[in-house]
Amino acid sequence: MNEYIPQADKEFILKELKRYETPISALIPSLFCIQKRHGWVPAEAVKELSLLSDLPESRINEVLNFYTMFNKKPVGQLHVQVCCNVSCAMNGGRELAKHICETYKVGFEQVSPCGTVTVSPVECLGACDKAPMMQVGQAYYEDLTNESALEVLEKLAFEKAKVSAHV
Amino acid sequence: MFKCTINGHEVEVPEGASVIEAFKLLKEDIAHYCWHPGLSIAGVCRLCMVQIDDGPRLHIACNTLVKDGMKITNQTEVVKEAVRWGMDFHLINHPLDCPICDQAGECGLQEQYMKYGQYDSSMAEKKVKKRKVVDLGERVVLDSERCILCSRCVRFTDEVTKTNELGIFNRGDHSEIGTFEDQPLDNKYSLNTVDICPVGALTSKDFRFQQRVWYLKDTDSICTGCSTGCSIKVYHNKEGLFRVKPVFNEKVNGHWMCDEGRDLYKHVNAPVRLKQILKSVGNEWFPLGLERALDHLNEAFSKAENISVLITAQHTVEEYKALKNWAQQLQDKTINFVYWKNNPESFDSFDGLLIRGDKNPNTKGLLEAGFEFADASVLDSSDLVLAPMPENPAVYPKYMEKLEQLSKLQTQLCLLSVSNITQHETINFADGTLAIPMKTAFEKAGHFINHQGLTQKIHKGRVIVKAALGLDELLQAIKIGKWIQPQLLKSRKTNESSKVSGELW
Amino acid sequence: MSESQLLTEHYHKDTYKSLKGYQADGGYEVLKKAFKMEPQAIIDEVKASGLRGRGGAGFPTGVKWGFLPRNDETRYLLCNADEGEPGTFKDRMMMERAPHQLIEGMIISAFAINSPKSYIYIRGEYDQCIETVTAAIKEAYDAGLLGENILGSGFKHDMDVYYGAGAYICGDETGMISSLEGLKGQPKLKPPFPAVQGYLKKPTIVNNVETLAAVIPIIDKGAEAYKAIGTEKSSGTKLFSVSGCVEKAGNFEVPLGYPLMDLIELAGGLRPGRKLKAVIPGGSSAPVLTAEECLTAKMDYEDLSAKGSMLGSGAVMVIDDSQNMVDLLGVIMHFYHHESCGQCTPCREGTGWLSKMVHSILEGKGRIADLDLILKVANQMKGKTICALSDAAALPALSFVTKFRDEFEDYIKRGHQYAAEALHV
Repeated sequence: MNEYIPQADKEFILKELKRYETPISALIPSLFCIQKRHGWVPAEAVKELSLLSDLPESRINEVLNFYTMFNKKPVGQLHVQVCCNVSCAMNGGRELAKHICETYKVGFEQVSPCGTVTVSPVECLGACDKAPMMQVGQAYYEDLTNESALEVLEKLAFEKAKVSAHV
Repeated sequence: MFKCTINGHEVEVPEGASVIEAFKLLKEDIAHYCWHPGLSIAGVCRLCMVQIDDGPRLHIACNTLVKDGMKITNQTEVVKEAVRWGMDFHLINHPLDCPICDQAGECGLQEQYMKYGQYDSSMAEKKVKKRKVVDLGERVVLDSERCILCSRCVRFTDEVTKTNELGIFNRGDHSEIGTFEDQPLDNKYSLNTVDICPVGALTSKDFRFQQRVWYLKDTDSICTGCSTGCSIKVYHNKEGLFRVKPVFNEKVNGHWMCDEGRDLYKHVNAPVRLKQILKSVGNEWFPLGLERALDHLNEAFSKAENISVLITAQHTVEEYKALKNWAQQLQDKTINFVYWKNNPESFDSFDGLLIRGDKNPNTKGLLEAGFEFADASVLDSSDLVLAPMPENPAVYPKYMEKLEQLSKLQTQLCLLSVSNITQHETINFADGTLAIPMKTAFEKAGHFINHQGLTQKIHKGRVIVKAALGLDELLQAIKIGKWIQPQLLKSRKTNESSKVSGELW
Repeated sequence: MSESQLLTEHYHKDTYKSLKGYQADGGYEVLKKAFKMEPQAIIDEVKASGLRGRGGAGFPTGVKWGFLPRNDETRYLLCNADEGEPGTFKDRMMMERAPHQLIEGMIISAFAINSPKSYIYIRGEYDQCIETVTAAIKEAYDAGLLGENILGSGFKHDMDVYYGAGAYICGDETGMISSLEGLKGQPKLKPPFPAVQGYLKKPTIVNNVETLAAVIPIIDKGAEAYKAIGTEKSSGTKLFSVSGCVEKAGNFEVPLGYPLMDLIELAGGLRPGRKLKAVIPGGSSAPVLTAEECLTAKMDYEDLSAKGSMLGSGAVMVIDDSQNMVDLLGVIMHFYHHESCGQCTPCREGTGWLSKMVHSILEGKGRIADLDLILKVANQMKGKTICALSDAAALPALSFVTKFRDEFEDYIKRGHQYAAEALHV
């Protein structure tokens, strides 16, 4: 059987299932754990999580599809989330998002041909004082220009390539 | 009890009742989709708006408890406007193709829009596209675009069956109901979701596009599928029966019934029925005219010394009474009653909700009729076995085996059967065996006593097989040597109007 | 007027993040004082201080605490750190710079309401906060500030972090409770209110990060001293997140009642050569103020409410004359359409309808009649739903279209000319 939740993740999930007042609260942390492993949350992993947690698949799927941070399909190595809400919009957030798309020859929410990036325009990330900004993976990059944003992405892509070459 | 005033009318309600329940008690109009008396309160359709004690704020009636002396109205312009707009919000992304929708005629959206809508939608934008004809397994089909996200079906699978198959996925106006990965909705009560769906989003595979609902009439009855005895409505027209739906019965089934019970109508319709009296000679069946049939019956019953009745709990209280009287009058003969149960191994089982292993509507009625039952072994030494058969032999496999066995012993049988027993492939019936068409519970009136001892009435509906007899009618004929002519029976209880939707929960 | 830094005085120090650094600047001293008080006395003090919820709704904190039923049921204290109101970034700073301040405020509050367990619900995007706060909680446990018999007081309290996964609606207190319960973050019907039946149907108090931190100066200096700051009805200080078209965007802690124009000056003022066009004073849900209204606006609950807007979360978004109001309303409407949880019909359908109408205008397909329809639809979305998101979408639509109608009409008339430049994402 193809295991979507390997042993280490299983241990984390089993711990989370006991951590909160009610086991179902472990869903969000568990789905994040799966996403960390695969870059997104495949349906097969939901089935495995259901078996592991004894929670109905429909409940897991509801949670998975309700929250925007969960990727329901594969994304590029770098998931570039550019804030396009009010303060960023006033400071060029949308133009930045489009610029990154054009540079990587990719539409929003698609994986670029090179597999490097997926660009998602997102809602306010709470860094309005440093607009425009983007979140790549977990990290925030703020006070961006078109040039500085691309520089960040190139550097991150280079690091990813280095890591995968190493592996 | 609390007293409150609704639109100027005073009404008394029990403490703890909600405002919407007070409206229902008073039979006062109130728009709503998500509220259902058998489910938890969702409070999401936002249509049951009321104003309380002349306050300016709008409250939803479903989540507001009545307080003593409360003054409630939904007749102010503010409420009416909110409801008109509420209707529009429901409709802006709903397809407006009622003529091709199976729900037309019993659609909550249609009916309530006619009552409360503004008839002039201002929506000019493109509607949200969602999935059409999603196959949810054996019985249910989903049309996501028609869904108004009232969440009744989701609450049903969460709260009633506790099977949790359904969910609402995504959010905002992209929300869609469904099962994970379109897995089948295969719990034993799935068709209740179709009943409670106020629109044409969930439809029954069995019923969809078979009939326009306004061409159907309905008759109140009791489900004969098991000893629970759910209250039902049977929908029919001259082409036969088309569907069965539960009717609210607080003491028995609440608002629900099982899917198995919905199939009840299938063995009642003409194509599978025995339609005339037949006699077996040399392993072939020959039709008998009524007079000859009577001769044969009388001959058989007067010749036989040792008669057994192979009885199940599928007949009415009245039929058992007739059977007992008949036997008492034949004192010169030995008459044995053999009580036959379906599937003894699961007979006493119960699924915790409605379904019982006792697949008979009147077990209590039979047991209380005062018969002395003999051991089944007496059958083998009988000259004649009278077998008023179970309506649906499929749930009585051992009964059929017994008939086969008796036929091998060349025992003469008098079969009273709903199904066309003559089509049975493996049984070679003894010469002289009679097969007489039997009425289904839907074609006769009477009473059943359910597992809890509750006596419930069944009403005569439409006659499907004109020649069919009730057990009492057959015994009467044997007794007096004359047919009480099977008649076309018209029920007083049949609703002749085309109003079929029942209560608009 | 100058900044009055009740909460942020030490925020510039890197050391303030750690337990040691926090304690060096007097951290956890107020907790010791609180343990010597009767819990009810703490509630009374908070009530007397006039502290109002800093998350957006502005409900008096002490009054909310007073709604807890007087019984032995387990109560929960939940910290709402799901800062999602567009334009708001104060809670993020508070958690990153002073996690122990939040923890101290929470222990005092938990002691006051006799709660054995609290959660800090942090929005999932705030990874840094999750890490910092988690580490701080561990430090606090190690130092005996959490767990059994805290500082010998006999009071037991456990604290944990929970994180969201991207949903604005979890900032609603009952949406947050649903999310913490492992469900979709959909707000719950009220009544019952959380104080009576909240998390896991137990009595629950939900307070914002800034609110809980503000309990510290109130217990430290007393309700009277706290009330002396700000205005008569809006007491204390407030953190304002100023962003948009200003030179030095950032968080500023000032007394409530602070003039809006002065606040903009604190944020470096407008950019050279630009004129003020409008300000959204309390996060994107707050009705927009015209430049003229800004001149006299004071940043407190009453003054902004008198001007038809609200203080909200304290997110001040400054809009200059380089901006197009139709475009910005499009951004805001897209946001609410995207974030509506989908339960209540007027919100689920209304947010989409509004967004589509505004975007039709942006695409050059608008009609003047659409403006009245926007107002009608928005008005019917107000006060009709379980939570405030529907109103939050309606209010900016109403205020933008009403106050900048000329600009909208001009856009519609010259639609095609603008549409080519419209930025859609």
